[in-house]
Amino acid sequence: MSSNDEEMDLKERLDLMQKMIAEGRRKQESWGWTFVLWGIAYYIAFFWAWLGNFVYAWPITMLAAGILTFIGFARPRRRSPETTMGRAIASIWIATGSSMFILFDAMGFGMHLADARVFFAAASAMIGLANAACSLTLRWKAEFICAIVWWAAAVIACFGNLVTAIAAFLAAIFLCQIVFGAYMMVLESRQRRQVASHA
Amino acid sequence: MPELPELNPVIHGKLRLALLSLLAGVEEAEFTWLRAKTGSTDGNLGAQLMKLEEAGYVAVEKKFVQRKPQTIYRMTDGGREALQEYVQALKQLLGAAI
Repeated sequence: MSSNDEEMDLKERLDLMQKMIAEGRRKQESWGWTFVLWGIAYYIAFFWAWLGNFVYAWPITMLAAGILTFIGFARPRRRSPETTMGRAIASIWIATGSSMFILFDAMGFGMHLADARVFFAAASAMIGLANAACSLTLRWKAEFICAIVWWAAAVIACFGNLVTAIAAFLAAIFLCQIVFGAYMMVLESRQRRQVASHA
Repeated sequence: MPELPELNPVIHGKLRLALLSLLAGVEEAEFTWLRAKTGSTDGNLGAQLMKLEEAGYVAVEKKFVQRKPQTIYRMTDGGREALQEYVQALKQLLGAAI
Protein backbone atom coordinates (compact mmCIF):
# COMPACT_ATOMS: atom_id res chain seq x y z
CA MET A 1 0.00 0.00 0.00
CA SER A 2 1.46 3.39 -0.99
CA SER A 3 1.67 6.20 1.58
CA ASN A 4 -1.11 8.00 -0.29
CA ASP A 5 -3.39 4.96 -0.01
CA GLU A 6 -2.53 4.65 3.66
CA GLU A 7 -3.42 8.28 4.26
CA MET A 8 -6.74 7.80 2.44
CA ASP A 9 -7.44 4.74 4.57
CA LEU A 10 -6.75 6.66 7.79
CA LYS A 11 -8.96 9.54 6.71
CA GLU A 12 -11.69 7.05 5.85
CA ARG A 13 -11.42 5.64 9.38
CA LEU A 14 -11.71 9.12 10.88
CA ASP A 15 -14.77 9.90 8.71
CA LEU A 16 -16.35 6.58 9.71
CA MET A 17 -15.90 7.40 13.40
CA GLN A 18 -17.40 10.86 13.03
CA LYS A 19 -20.38 9.49 11.11
CA MET A 20 -21.04 6.72 13.64
CA ILE A 21 -20.68 8.96 16.70
CA ALA A 22 -23.15 11.42 15.14
CA GLU A 23 -25.49 8.52 14.31
CA GLY A 24 -25.36 7.25 17.89
CA ARG A 25 -26.08 10.68 19.30
CA ARG A 26 -28.94 11.35 16.91
CA LYS A 27 -32.01 12.26 18.94
CA GLN A 28 -33.92 9.06 19.66
CA GLU A 29 -36.54 10.11 22.15
CA SER A 30 -40.01 11.47 21.43
CA TRP A 31 -40.97 14.21 23.84
CA GLY A 32 -43.58 16.25 21.92
CA TRP A 33 -46.53 14.11 22.99
CA THR A 34 -45.63 14.57 26.68
CA PHE A 35 -45.88 18.36 26.29
CA VAL A 36 -49.33 18.04 24.72
CA LEU A 37 -50.45 15.48 27.33
CA TRP A 38 -49.34 17.67 30.26
CA GLY A 39 -50.88 20.74 28.63
CA ILE A 40 -54.23 18.96 28.45
CA ALA A 41 -53.75 17.72 32.03
CA TYR A 42 -53.13 21.29 33.26
CA TYR A 43 -56.36 22.43 31.56
CA ILE A 44 -58.36 19.53 33.06
CA ALA A 45 -56.95 20.23 36.53
CA PHE A 46 -57.57 23.93 36.19
CA PHE A 47 -61.20 23.63 35.12
CA TRP A 48 -61.89 20.84 37.64
CA ALA A 49 -60.49 23.09 40.38
CA TRP A 50 -62.54 25.99 39.00
CA LEU A 51 -65.68 23.85 39.41
CA GLY A 52 -64.93 23.76 43.14
CA ASN A 53 -62.50 20.94 43.91
CA PHE A 54 -59.27 22.92 44.27
CA VAL A 55 -57.60 20.59 46.81
CA TYR A 56 -57.97 17.28 44.93
CA ALA A 57 -58.22 18.37 41.27
CA TRP A 58 -54.52 19.15 40.81
CA PRO A 59 -52.92 16.19 42.67
CA ILE A 60 -55.27 13.63 41.09
CA THR A 61 -54.87 15.00 37.54
CA MET A 62 -51.08 15.36 37.89
CA LEU A 63 -50.79 11.82 39.24
CA ALA A 64 -52.89 10.51 36.33
CA ALA A 65 -50.75 12.45 33.82
CA GLY A 66 -47.59 11.06 35.47
CA ILE A 67 -48.91 7.49 35.17
CA LEU A 68 -49.88 8.05 31.50
CA THR A 69 -46.41 9.47 30.77
CA PHE A 70 -44.78 6.44 32.40
CA ILE A 71 -47.00 4.07 30.39
CA GLY A 72 -46.24 6.00 27.19
CA PHE A 73 -42.49 5.62 27.66
CA ALA A 74 -42.71 2.02 28.85
CA ARG A 75 -44.98 0.72 26.11
CA PRO A 76 -43.45 -2.06 24.05
CA ARG A 77 -41.75 -0.76 20.93
CA ARG A 78 -38.48 -1.16 19.20
CA ARG A 79 -36.02 -0.11 21.86
CA SER A 80 -33.82 2.83 20.97
CA PRO A 81 -30.72 3.30 23.09
CA GLU A 82 -30.69 5.75 25.94
CA THR A 83 -28.35 8.68 25.49
CA THR A 84 -26.78 10.73 28.27
CA MET A 85 -28.62 13.75 26.89
CA GLY A 86 -31.97 11.93 27.00
CA ARG A 87 -31.34 10.89 30.61
CA ALA A 88 -30.44 14.48 31.53
CA ILE A 89 -33.67 15.83 30.03
CA ALA A 90 -35.79 13.15 31.70
CA SER A 91 -34.07 13.88 35.03
CA ILE A 92 -34.85 17.61 34.79
CA TRP A 93 -38.56 16.94 34.23
CA ILE A 94 -38.85 14.19 36.84
CA ALA A 95 -37.13 16.37 39.46
CA THR A 96 -39.25 19.42 38.59
CA GLY A 97 -42.49 17.43 38.51
CA SER A 98 -41.75 15.75 41.86
CA SER A 99 -40.87 19.10 43.49
CA MET A 100 -44.08 20.67 42.22
CA PHE A 101 -46.18 17.71 43.31
CA ILE A 102 -44.73 17.71 46.83
CA LEU A 103 -44.76 21.49 47.27
CA PHE A 104 -48.26 22.18 45.99
CA ASP A 105 -49.83 19.21 47.76
CA ALA A 106 -48.22 20.29 51.03
CA MET A 107 -49.30 23.89 50.47
CA GLY A 108 -52.83 22.84 49.48
CA PHE A 109 -53.42 20.43 52.34
CA GLY A 110 -51.69 22.83 54.75
CA MET A 111 -54.17 25.52 53.66
CA HIS A 112 -51.44 27.86 52.42
CA LEU A 113 -52.88 28.37 48.96
CA ALA A 114 -55.57 30.88 49.88
CA ASP A 115 -54.27 33.25 47.20
CA ALA A 116 -54.30 31.24 43.96
CA ARG A 117 -51.85 33.74 42.42
CA VAL A 118 -49.11 32.24 44.64
CA PHE A 119 -49.80 28.87 43.04
CA PHE A 120 -49.81 30.27 39.48
CA ALA A 121 -46.59 32.24 40.09
CA ALA A 122 -44.70 29.35 41.68
CA ALA A 123 -45.93 26.75 39.15
CA SER A 124 -45.08 28.99 36.17
CA ALA A 125 -41.62 29.78 37.55
CA MET A 126 -40.84 26.08 38.12
CA ILE A 127 -42.02 25.01 34.67
CA GLY A 128 -39.99 27.91 33.25
CA LEU A 129 -36.95 26.64 35.13
CA ALA A 130 -37.32 23.14 33.64
CA ASN A 131 -37.76 24.54 30.12
CA ALA A 132 -34.71 26.79 30.53
CA ALA A 133 -32.56 23.94 31.88
CA CYS A 134 -33.59 21.71 28.94
CA SER A 135 -33.00 24.44 26.36
CA LEU A 136 -29.52 25.14 27.76
CA THR A 137 -28.71 21.42 27.83
CA LEU A 138 -29.96 20.89 24.27
CA ARG A 139 -28.76 24.33 23.07
CA TRP A 140 -32.29 24.79 21.68
CA LYS A 141 -33.44 28.43 21.50
CA ALA A 142 -37.10 27.59 20.79
CA GLU A 143 -37.48 25.99 24.21
CA PHE A 144 -35.87 28.98 25.88
CA ILE A 145 -38.66 31.13 24.44
CA CYS A 146 -41.09 28.84 26.31
CA ALA A 147 -39.11 29.44 29.51
CA ILE A 148 -39.42 33.19 28.98
CA VAL A 149 -43.20 32.87 28.43
CA TRP A 150 -43.54 30.86 31.67
CA TRP A 151 -41.43 33.35 33.62
CA ALA A 152 -43.55 36.18 32.22
CA ALA A 153 -46.67 34.35 33.45
CA ALA A 154 -45.03 34.06 36.89
CA VAL A 155 -44.31 37.80 37.02
CA ILE A 156 -47.83 38.67 35.82
CA ALA A 157 -49.28 36.45 38.60
CA CYS A 158 -47.26 38.43 41.16
CA PHE A 159 -48.27 41.88 39.98
CA GLY A 160 -51.66 41.44 38.29
CA ASN A 161 -55.07 40.61 39.70
CA LEU A 162 -56.44 37.05 39.79
CA VAL A 163 -58.14 37.27 36.38
CA THR A 164 -54.91 38.47 34.73
CA ALA A 165 -52.92 35.75 36.50
CA ILE A 166 -55.34 33.08 35.26
CA ALA A 167 -55.29 34.47 31.70
CA ALA A 168 -51.46 34.48 31.67
CA PHE A 169 -51.29 30.93 33.05
CA LEU A 170 -53.79 29.55 30.52
CA ALA A 171 -52.03 31.36 27.66
CA ALA A 172 -48.64 29.95 28.75
CA ILE A 173 -50.12 26.43 28.82
CA PHE A 174 -51.52 26.88 25.32
CA LEU A 175 -48.33 28.32 23.81
CA CYS A 176 -45.66 26.35 25.66
CA GLN A 177 -47.40 22.98 26.06
CA ILE A 178 -49.97 22.52 23.30
CA VAL A 179 -48.46 24.58 20.45
CA PHE A 180 -44.82 23.84 21.35
CA GLY A 181 -45.63 20.13 21.88
CA ALA A 182 -47.33 19.91 18.49
CA TYR A 183 -44.33 21.67 16.90
CA MET A 184 -41.98 19.15 18.54
CA MET A 185 -44.11 16.26 17.28
CA VAL A 186 -43.85 17.59 13.72
CA LEU A 187 -40.04 17.93 14.05
CA GLU A 188 -39.72 14.43 15.53
CA SER A 189 -41.87 12.91 12.81
CA ARG A 190 -39.70 14.60 10.14
CA GLN A 191 -36.57 13.31 11.85
CA ARG A 192 -37.95 9.76 11.99
CA ARG A 193 -38.76 9.91 8.25
CA GLN A 194 -35.21 11.11 7.54
CA VAL A 195 -33.71 8.27 9.59
CA ALA A 196 -35.96 5.75 7.84
CA SER A 197 -34.93 7.04 4.41
CA HIS A 198 -31.23 6.78 5.34
CA ALA A 199 -31.54 3.32 6.89
CA MET B 1 12.08 12.49 14.21
CA PRO B 2 9.50 11.27 16.79
CA GLU B 3 8.42 7.64 16.52
CA LEU B 4 5.01 7.19 14.92
CA PRO B 5 2.39 5.44 17.06
CA GLU B 6 0.90 2.07 16.14
CA LEU B 7 -2.82 1.75 15.68
CA ASN B 8 -4.63 -0.65 18.01
CA PRO B 9 -5.45 -3.64 15.73
CA VAL B 10 -8.56 -4.58 17.73
CA ILE B 11 -10.09 -1.16 17.09
CA HIS B 12 -8.71 -0.66 13.60
CA GLY B 13 -11.13 -3.11 11.93
CA LYS B 14 -13.81 -1.05 10.16
CA LEU B 15 -16.84 -2.72 11.71
CA ARG B 16 -15.29 -2.80 15.20
CA LEU B 17 -14.38 0.88 14.87
CA ALA B 18 -17.94 1.69 13.76
CA LEU B 19 -19.35 -0.28 16.71
CA LEU B 20 -17.16 1.43 19.29
CA SER B 21 -17.96 4.85 17.79
CA LEU B 22 -21.68 4.10 17.95
CA LEU B 23 -21.44 2.91 21.54
CA ALA B 24 -19.45 6.03 22.46
CA GLY B 25 -22.54 8.17 21.82
CA VAL B 26 -25.08 6.14 23.81
CA GLU B 27 -25.44 4.69 27.29
CA GLU B 28 -26.15 1.20 25.97
CA ALA B 29 -27.49 -0.33 22.79
CA GLU B 30 -29.32 -3.42 21.68
CA PHE B 31 -27.85 -5.88 19.19
CA THR B 32 -30.66 -5.13 16.71
CA TRP B 33 -30.00 -1.37 16.87
CA LEU B 34 -26.28 -1.90 16.22
CA ARG B 35 -27.15 -4.19 13.30
CA ALA B 36 -29.49 -1.58 11.79
CA LYS B 37 -26.94 1.22 12.14
CA THR B 38 -24.01 -0.74 10.70
CA GLY B 39 -25.97 -2.70 8.10
CA SER B 40 -23.99 -5.78 9.09
CA THR B 41 -25.09 -9.43 9.14
CA ASP B 42 -25.91 -11.17 12.44
CA GLY B 43 -22.92 -13.50 12.18
CA ASN B 44 -20.32 -10.87 11.38
CA LEU B 45 -21.70 -8.45 13.95
CA GLY B 46 -21.73 -11.12 16.66
CA ALA B 47 -18.13 -12.13 15.87
CA GLN B 48 -16.83 -8.55 15.94
CA LEU B 49 -18.69 -7.75 19.16
CA MET B 50 -17.18 -10.87 20.73
CA LYS B 51 -13.68 -9.64 19.81
CA LEU B 52 -14.43 -6.30 21.44
CA GLU B 53 -15.82 -8.08 24.49
CA GLU B 54 -12.72 -10.30 24.75
CA ALA B 55 -10.53 -7.19 24.63
CA GLY B 56 -12.59 -5.73 27.49
CA TYR B 57 -13.83 -2.82 25.38
CA VAL B 58 -17.54 -3.65 25.57
CA ALA B 59 -19.68 -5.30 28.25
CA VAL B 60 -22.63 -7.47 27.33
CA GLU B 61 -25.83 -8.15 29.22
CA LYS B 62 -28.41 -10.71 28.16
CA LYS B 63 -31.95 -10.52 29.46
CA PHE B 64 -35.55 -11.33 28.62
CA VAL B 65 -38.02 -8.51 28.06
CA GLN B 66 -41.61 -9.69 27.67
CA ARG B 67 -40.31 -13.22 27.01
CA LYS B 68 -38.10 -12.01 24.17
CA PRO B 69 -34.31 -12.29 24.47
CA GLN B 70 -32.45 -9.03 24.40
CA THR B 71 -28.68 -8.51 24.17
CA ILE B 72 -27.49 -5.17 25.41
CA TYR B 73 -23.99 -3.81 24.80
CA ARG B 74 -22.27 -0.93 26.52
CA MET B 75 -18.82 0.53 26.21
CA THR B 76 -16.50 -0.04 29.17
CA ASP B 77 -14.12 2.56 30.62
CA GLY B 78 -11.28 0.58 29.06
CA GLY B 79 -13.01 0.77 25.67
CA ARG B 80 -13.46 4.52 25.96
CA GLU B 81 -9.80 4.95 26.88
CA ALA B 82 -8.67 2.72 24.02
CA LEU B 83 -10.82 4.63 21.53
CA GLN B 84 -9.37 7.94 22.73
CA GLU B 85 -5.84 6.59 22.35
CA TYR B 86 -6.73 5.31 18.88
CA VAL B 87 -8.02 8.74 17.84
CA GLN B 88 -4.85 10.40 19.13
CA ALA B 89 -2.68 7.92 17.24
CA LEU B 90 -4.77 8.38 14.09
CA LYS B 91 -4.42 12.17 14.27
CA GLN B 92 -0.69 11.87 14.82
CA LEU B 93 -0.31 9.59 11.82
CA LEU B 94 -2.43 11.86 9.64
CA GLY B 95 -0.42 14.85 10.84
CA ALA B 96 2.80 13.10 9.92
CA ALA B 97 1.45 12.18 6.49
CA ILE B 98 0.59 15.78 5.56
